[in-house]
Amino acid sequence: MTRKDERGHRWTDVGVQRAVIRIVRRLSPGFARRVITLRTRLHTDLGWDDWYVLRVVKPIRRTLHESLEDRVVLALKTVGDLVNYVWNRMEDA
Amino acid sequence: MRALRVALAALLAARAAAAQQTPPADTARAGVAAPAAAAPAPDTAAATRAPAGATGTEPGWQLLVGHSYSSARALTQPATFTLEQERGQPLYSVFDAAALLRGALADRAWLEMGLRARGGSARPPGERAYGAMVRAFGELDPVLVAAGYEYLADGHFLVQQPAATFEVTALGGAPGLGTWVSPALHLRWRPWLGVSWGKGVRPYLRAAGEWVGGRVEAGVETTGWLVDGTAVGFVQGDFSVRLVGGLFATASGEAGRAPPTFEAEGRFGVGLGLRLGPT
Repeated sequence: MTRKDERGHRWTDVGVQRAVIRIVRRLSPGFARRVITLRTRLHTDLGWDDWYVLRVVKPIRRTLHESLEDRVVLALKTVGDLVNYVWNRMEDA
Repeated sequence: MRALRVALAALLAARAAAAQQTPPADTARAGVAAPAAAAPAPDTAAATRAPAGATGTEPGWQLLVGHSYSSARALTQPATFTLEQERGQPLYSVFDAAALLRGALADRAWLEMGLRARGGSARPPGERAYGAMVRAFGELDPVLVAAGYEYLADGHFLVQQPAATFEVTALGGAPGLGTWVSPALHLRWRPWLGVSWGKGVRPYLRAAGEWVGGRVEAGVETTGWLVDGTAVGFVQGDFSVRLVGGLFATASGEAGRAPPTFEAEGRFGVGLGLRLGPT
């Protein structure tokens, strides 16, 4: 399954997952790569506070070309939620 | 003679129903799959997701209840209702609570409106404090800025302090700033630099830190103001041990000079607490 980002680039669901997880890993330098999965909880497991979670917005805009809404990002609980949010913002290819 | 302080404390805290705790309504409208579907195996992930483009509806308003609306950290401290007793005297009550309503303004900005009260029969009216505020946030990665208007008054409403505020914090970038230092060390902190413009211009610096180790949690928040050329400060903290579920044994205290009166005060209490919602 593929979808298009805001610039028309095509992404597979697995590609979006990998890109988002890579971004989350970069924002959690103290955590081992294998620790961060789709089930990882942003606030409980990584300890991201309300404001730190907003750091995903810019790299996702640069890498996946999707503009996220801050208020939605503040409510996300897991890495999987973030993957789904980005994927669902994309359009069917 | 001063007495024995028997404390039976009941703690109220409800951190938000909707988006923070159980966001299906909010996130569903915003195009986020339910939490149960948030972590499927890679090959089945897409099947649980909403149709493409199922986004764009702003999430609903979110209610947060906690110790104070002054910061995210303060909101995770349980709102407190404490019973205190002095020998030969009836029970006194002390409460300290705040509520915050948060809603979207734009993609990268949102609005908060809050009410707070510190009072109870154990506090003389002059030591009570009431407040209301409205604050707008803007995310300008790498920083977050907040502009607001706050009204504070003492129990007699003799000291009233309306003030405009402007605050800024870095989203991250330093070890432990906004995130656990490491999987083994659950310690984080956050600074806020601000200026209050009411009866004069008062710059201030607020720093909050918290640590979680298994069943034990501790947090401290300190604020320093420059008032008429003099530095004054206020610190509040809590130490909790999780007993079962959301039930805690909690000790909390505060000391220093806080607005609107900036008079010296201090308090310490021990009791049982209940926290609802995420930390």
